[in-house]
Formats: sequence, C-alpha cells, structure tokens
Amino acid sequence: MPSNKAELLQGTLDLLILKTLSAGPMHGFSIVQRIQQRSEEVLVVEEGSLYPCLYRMEEKGWIKAQWGKSENNRRAKFYELTRSGRKQLVEETAIWERVHRAITLVLMAV
Amino acid sequence: MKLFKKIFQRPAMKREIDEELRFHMEQRASENIAAGMTKGDAEREARKRFGNVQNVREDCWEKRGISFGEDTLRDFRFAMRQLLKNPGFTTVAVLTLALGIGASSTVFSLIQGVLLIPPPYPHPERVVLVTQTRTDGQHNNEQLWPSGQWQEWQKEAKSFEAIAGYGWTFSFLVLPDGSESMEGMEVTSDYFKVVGLQPILGRAFADSDAASGPQKLIILGNSLWKRRFGANPAIIGQPVRISGFPVPLTVVGVMPPDVRFLPAPDVAAEPNYNVNAKVDYWLPAWSDPKQLKSRDWYVVGRLASGATVCEAGSELAVLTAREIQNEPDFAGVNAYVQPLEKQLNKEGRRLLIPVAGAAALVFLIACGNAAGLLLARGLQRQHEYAVRSALGAQTLQMCRMVLTESLLLASLGALIGAALAVVGVDGVKHFAGAAIPRLDAVRPGWAILGFSLSAAIVAGLFAGILPAWRSLRLDPGDALKAGGRTASLGRPERRLLLGVAAVQIALTLALLVGAGLLVQTSISLARVRPGFDTQNILTMSVTEVGTNWLDFHTRAIERVTALPGVKAAAFGWGVPLTGNKWVMSVGTDGLTDESARKNGISVPTRSVTPDYFSALGLAFVEGRAFRPSDKGGAPRVAIINQAMADLFFPGQSIVGRKIWFQRNRTNQIEVVGVLANTRTESLAEPAEPELYLPLWQAGAFSKHLVVRTMGDPRSIAMSVQRELRVVDPTVAVENVKTLEEIREDSVAPRTFAMNLLIAFAMVACLLATVGIYGVLSLTVGSLQNEIAIRLALGAQRRDVLRLILGHGFRLAGVGVGLGLIIALALATGLKTYLFGVVPTDPFILIGMMVLVFAITLITCWIPAWRAAGVDPVTALKTV
Repeated sequence: MPSNKAELLQGTLDLLILKTLSAGPMHGFSIVQRIQQRSEEVLVVEEGSLYPCLYRMEEKGWIKAQWGKSENNRRAKFYELTRSGRKQLVEETAIWERVHRAITLVLMAV
Repeated sequence: MKLFKKIFQRPAMKREIDEELRFHMEQRASENIAAGMTKGDAEREARKRFGNVQNVREDCWEKRGISFGEDTLRDFRFAMRQLLKNPGFTTVAVLTLALGIGASSTVFSLIQGVLLIPPPYPHPERVVLVTQTRTDGQHNNEQLWPSGQWQEWQKEAKSFEAIAGYGWTFSFLVLPDGSESMEGMEVTSDYFKVVGLQPILGRAFADSDAASGPQKLIILGNSLWKRRFGANPAIIGQPVRISGFPVPLTVVGVMPPDVRFLPAPDVAAEPNYNVNAKVDYWLPAWSDPKQLKSRDWYVVGRLASGATVCEAGSELAVLTAREIQNEPDFAGVNAYVQPLEKQLNKEGRRLLIPVAGAAALVFLIACGNAAGLLLARGLQRQHEYAVRSALGAQTLQMCRMVLTESLLLASLGALIGAALAVVGVDGVKHFAGAAIPRLDAVRPGWAILGFSLSAAIVAGLFAGILPAWRSLRLDPGDALKAGGRTASLGRPERRLLLGVAAVQIALTLALLVGAGLLVQTSISLARVRPGFDTQNILTMSVTEVGTNWLDFHTRAIERVTALPGVKAAAFGWGVPLTGNKWVMSVGTDGLTDESARKNGISVPTRSVTPDYFSALGLAFVEGRAFRPSDKGGAPRVAIINQAMADLFFPGQSIVGRKIWFQRNRTNQIEVVGVLANTRTESLAEPAEPELYLPLWQAGAFSKHLVVRTMGDPRSIAMSVQRELRVVDPTVAVENVKTLEEIREDSVAPRTFAMNLLIAFAMVACLLATVGIYGVLSLTVGSLQNEIAIRLALGAQRRDVLRLILGHGFRLAGVGVGLGLIIALALATGLKTYLFGVVPTDPFILIGMMVLVFAITLITCWIPAWRAAGVDPVTALKTV
C-alpha cells in the first residue's frame, strides 16, 4: 500500500531526537510534533518507540530529563542535550551525511 | 550502587514513566479535540496511535534497566505453565531429580554433622593435640608425656597460647537403686583456657584446686547435671558421692552442653571408653613435682593467634630435643602436633568419603536423566522455538526460558529431595548408630535445604545447558520447514545423548559393583567361624561400687548360675568384638628374637572366671580351663591361644611352660592350657596372640557378665539384673546386649556402607533405565524416516530390530567399558571395608557387567519393537 509517510530508517530516530533537542529542552510529545512538522509531515515517529528510545539515550548520558511545566501548565518531563549528547549529534550527523552522499552517488551513477 | 538505587527506586521510576506516557496521550487527545473531534473519539484515537501501552511500559522498564523482576517472573510463570501442561514429563523429571538430590543431601548432612561441624570450642582450628612419634619408627599406642616435658613447653613455647595436660577417667555415681557409670576427664587448670570453655554455673578450676591427696572438687557436665540433678542451679557447693573417692566431692561448676572428650588412645580398650561421648565430669589433675619423669599425660594446646600447626611442631621439636639432651629418660619419642579436628574425624572420614562418592554418582545419573528428558522435550517443542525465534525472540531470551524451566524442575526436585533427605537422615540415625561416630549430633535442618537448593542449581544448570545450547544454535528456517512434525536429532546431538546414557550406565555399573562387593563381604563375614558362640549369650557390664569385690563376684555368679534357663555364667574383662583388652609385654625363656628377649612381646591380655570358656564355647587344644582354686595366693596360672603358642613356643610342648610380664621375671606364671584360635578382636582379622588370666588373680574393675542361656537370652535379662541387685543394690549394670548384637555392632560400618550402596545402586538402576529408555526412544524417533524407507524397500522386521538393538548394544558396550574403570576406582576406595573378596573379584565384576548389559538391552527392546512394528506406508507419509 503506497503511503506518503516514510518508515524511519533504523538508527535515525536517535539522530532526529538529538537534532530536535539541540534547539532547546522539550518534552516527548513536542519532539514527535516537531519532527513531524519539520519533515513536512513525512516522518511520523511511532509514539510507542519514542519513550524507550529516550530512556535508552538518557541511560547513555546523551540527554538528561527534568520535570517542568508544559505550555498548558501541566507537569511534563523535559529533555535536554548533555555535553556528550552534543558530541553524539555531531558524530551521527557526520555519519548520516556520509551515508547520504554514498547513496546519492550510487543512485546517480546510472 | 546504581543497581541498588534501581532496585529501591523501582516503584518511583515506574510511576514516573506512567505519568510521562499519560501526559503524552492526554496531549495528543487535546490536540485531537482542538482539531474538532469529540472527547471520546479524541481519546480513542490517541490510544490507538500510541499502540499497546503495556508493551511500551515494559519496553521502557527494560531500557531503564529495571525490568529484571518482570522478566524473571514472566519466564517463571511460563515455565510453570509448561510443566503443568505435561504432568507425566514433569513428574518423572522431578522425581528423578528428587532421588538424586535426596541421596546427595542425606550424605551431605551426615558429612556436615559428623565431619564439618567443628568441636564446639571457640576457634576450634587452633586447638591441637601434641602426640608422639617414636624415634625407632614403631607404632606408638600410648602417646603419653611426662609432666617434666610439657610443663617446660608451657613456659617456653611461643607458638602456643596455652598448653594443658589431661587424662581420661571413669567412675560411678553411687545411687542406692543401681549406680550409673560416668566418663570424665582429669585436667590441669589450663585445659579450660585451651579449649575455651566457660562454666554456665560456678567456676572452672584454678591452679590452687590441684593438690596432692584425695580429690575434693568436681565440675559437672551439662547432661549429667540435667539427668541426675534436675538442672538444679543450687548444686554449686553441694557434695556428690562418686565411687573410688572416700570423701564426697564438692561441685564447683557446671559446663555448657555437648562438650566431648579429647582422645586418650591408651585407654581405648577400656569397656567404658567412648571418645565420642559427652563429658560427664571434670576433676582437677595434680602434677606431682616428684613424678616429673613419669609418662602420665596427654597434652593439648591452643595455638597463639597467627601461629601455624607447622610452626608449633618445629618449635616443640627443638624444645624436645633439648629436653632429651638434658634428661636421657625422655629419649625415644618426638612431639608431633596435629589439629584436634583431624584426629577426631579419622573414623568418620574413612566411612563417609566413599559413601559421598557413591552419592555423587547417583546425583550425576539423576542430572543426566533430567538433561535427557529436557532435551527430548526440547525436540518436541522445536517448532515452537523456531516460531518464537522467527518472531524475533532473542537467542538469549530463549536460552533463559529453557534454563528457567530446568531450574524450576530442579527446585521442585530439591524440595522433595530435601524431604527425602530428612527421612534419610532419620533412617541412618536409626539404623547406623554404631557405624558413625557422633551421629547424635546430626540434625536435619537448614543445612539440608541449603544443600538441596544448591544441588538443584547445579542440577538445573547441568540438565538445562544441553537443551539451552540446542535452542541457541537452532536454525529457525530449518525447524519451520519441518513444520509441526516430530523434529529429529542431528548426528552430533544423538552422539551427545548416547554419551550421557553411556556415562549413566557406567556410573550404575560402578555402584552395582560396589554394592556387590559389600554384599559379598557381609556374606563372608556371616560365614566366618569366629571360634566362639554368639547364639544364646547375654552380656552386660557389671561393676560393684562399694562392697567386697571378691564376695560380690563369687555370690553373683552363684546366684545367676542358679537361675532357671541359665547354662553357665562368668565374668570376663575382654569379651570378644568389644575391643576390650589390655596389652602387656610378655617374656619367656628361649625367645629367639633379640629385642623380644629384652623387651618381651606385646600380647593382648584378658581376665576371666573359670566358666568363661564354656559359656562362650571356646575350645581347648591342650591342657585345662581355670579352676575355682586358681585364686589369689595360689600359684599364678595363665591360658594362651594357639597363635600365642606358635609365637612363643613353636613346635614345643606348652602346658607347664612359664611366662612373665615385663620386668617382673621373678613372678612367673604357668601356662595351664591352650585355646584354639578365635577371632576375638575382629571378625575380619585372623587370630592374634591372646593371653587369659584368672579374674580371681588378676582383678578387673569394670567387666562383663557373660551368661549362656538355654533359650532367648533377652528373656532372662531382667531376672539376671534382679539377682545382681540382691547381692548389691548399688551395683552398676549397663550395656545389656546379646553377643549377637555385639557382633552386629562390630560390623556396623560395613553393614551401613552395604545398605547405603545397595539403596544407591537400586536407585541408579531405576534412573538409568529411565534414562536409557528415553535416549533410545529419541534415537528411534530420529531414525524413523530411515526405518520407514528401509521397510518400504523390503527390510524385514527383524532387520529393524537388529538396527535398533545394535545401537543399544554399542551403548551398553561403551557404558560397561567406562563403568569398569569407575567401578575399580570405587572398589579401591572401599578396600578397607572388604572382607573375603578382592576389589577385582571376577565373579562380581562379570556378573554386574552382564546385569547392566541385560538391563540396557531389555530397555532397548521396547522402542526397538515399536519401531519395527511401524507400518511403512504411515511412516513414509510423515517423511
């Protein structure tokens, strides 16, 4: 069934979260929303896999969490990048660009 | 630290996760409402979009590292369901493991209770015995030290915290209605410091308590205090009357319970000596400054903290050498320091170590069985595993699942096994009291459960590893292709399983051979003609404690002999098979050996009244028995046995010859008779030289009354005791036993080892049969296709039978071959228990090999027959 929504490539969710958070602290729900908006509604983060991913990243020390108040004044957990998260973002971006370039080269070769 | 934090903050962390997820969904719902949905639709859509909340939660827990509880619980619940679904399999596997664990736990509790629990002293490893080695290399029975030597060690040895001298003593608590024998210790005041005993009442001895002259003070043992003095705390300062002491002794203290003796080997042959008993009383020992050279003392010490047995040994060696230089009378023996525990455990270790080996074999067989069963079931569930694996289950998870199941099985087995062990320990205590020292201290308790559970973990891992390993290297594609049909074993796995079965057969053979050898031993022992009668003979130890010695014994014999049903009655110090005797150095004219001429020859000596020989049915080769006239004042006479005659007077006439005890040549004794050889010391040993003296001339304090009866000796036990009390109401009568019972006690360790090995061998046979059957059924199952094709191509039923039986035959061959080696090792370990049979007895070895072969082949027959009966068409369809 053709769909205008792309499956996320494995491993890219980390990168997207890191990048999104580099704009500043935000909670899980707005991460999903932000990715969806920025990708012009193409990338839809599966909500069930977002939170396990966030916890994994938190355990790895890339992001840290803090409870705060949301826009509509509710208690929400906000995530922000740590120093090692920023390093990870740079590394993963570099990898992504290499892969992206490689795939483009292959696709243009014919 | 992090792990701890996670364990304790788990609930809080879980709440946090839930709150976060809820926030997310509510946020989504309010977006939806903002987009125009109704409240209900908005919430439904939010939930739908989020997916299975429970899965996400568990996923989050896992990523947080706080999911271990849930995973294990899930695995556990799953394993439980699986086990309940297959009650037949579960029952067999659990019972198999229960038998293995029960057997090993029983033996472990014996080992723990008898060998591992140290004496109840603080830092028991520091309590050492200072024993002796003779410089001429000969065996030293006595181990006694002169106070001149150990008192110097007390002052100078740096590696000891304290050193004490002690001795064994016994006497009777004099009571008007039959006195009671007590075992006690004579100790120097440092003894309490050495063993670390604190009285629970009153005080221990002080240096000033020991003095020359009659004893005045006594400390009571806990059980005597409770038994005889009603645990009365006012006993301190009270007098107690004890035989052998003209003045009543004053109680100064009461000791804590369960204090046992320190060994005193020179009195080991005393009828009342029992090193494993609890001490009834302590007396202060006085070291006479005028007797510094007399060898009277056993020596026990407590090592200084940090000092080793080795250091203490070399320090005493130096001190001893110096003492010998200054005092030539001390020459001849060197000090040898050894831990008390080691000495106390000598007997127990000899019996329990081979038994533990046998129990380990049963345990291994049970584990092998459980592994086979689990693997067989793993094969049936191969399809399920494949589906799981295809659906993304990680190999590690599958492995964990399989292991959880085997551990659960093993734990259930452990619970039943522990119950079996409790029953087993009770049984052993009931039936093997005489076989194992200090068995009374063995109590089934937490140790059994603990050991059973550890055994279960070992068994579970052992039994689970094979199936788990299999699940790991399973190719889901292959298994799925095989569909739901019975999966088959690969060649390496078949080999592995056959290997396990072969080892089971081997271990079973070893146990059967061990049991066979001990049964043969028991038969040989029962066939031994000891040279004395054991039927219709009643014995009891009898001690008069306060009247006229000669008068009591003469009248007692008269009265007992006059009882109806009594054929003969006699007193004897040294009844057969009790180990009672005293060893004397005997000399005579014409001894050829140089050292024998100088020092005499050690001969076990006994003393008896005239009718003793006829009461026990001892046969005379020559000469006469004692007469009532052979009493004090009359010329001294002796009777010797054939073995002594051969040693002292080879090829000469004997009656009328003179012998004497060492250094007493002037006091000559005439040999008046020669007895045929008897197995007095032990049924398993050939006769040693023996010397008998008339009780009326030699005397003896504690001794046995031997009564030969017309009928059942038990039936007159009461009337015999009554007659003795008529002569002296305070007489102590104890250990009423028939000679047959004494005979049984003397072979008790062998009987115990035999019964245990028979039980183990039977369990092993049963388990191995189950194991072999399981493995062969599996093998047949995986050969099904081959068989079907063969049958379809015209093979006969008997060809198929031959094929399967061939497998069984090879299995039995390998198992028996391997088993022979293990059997010989076990038999060598049992060597000291064997009698009338060598460890390599061909009849037993071949017989048991044939038996094991037969069991294997019969067990093979069933699956073989079934396989051969398969309709080739049906079989081919399933190919």
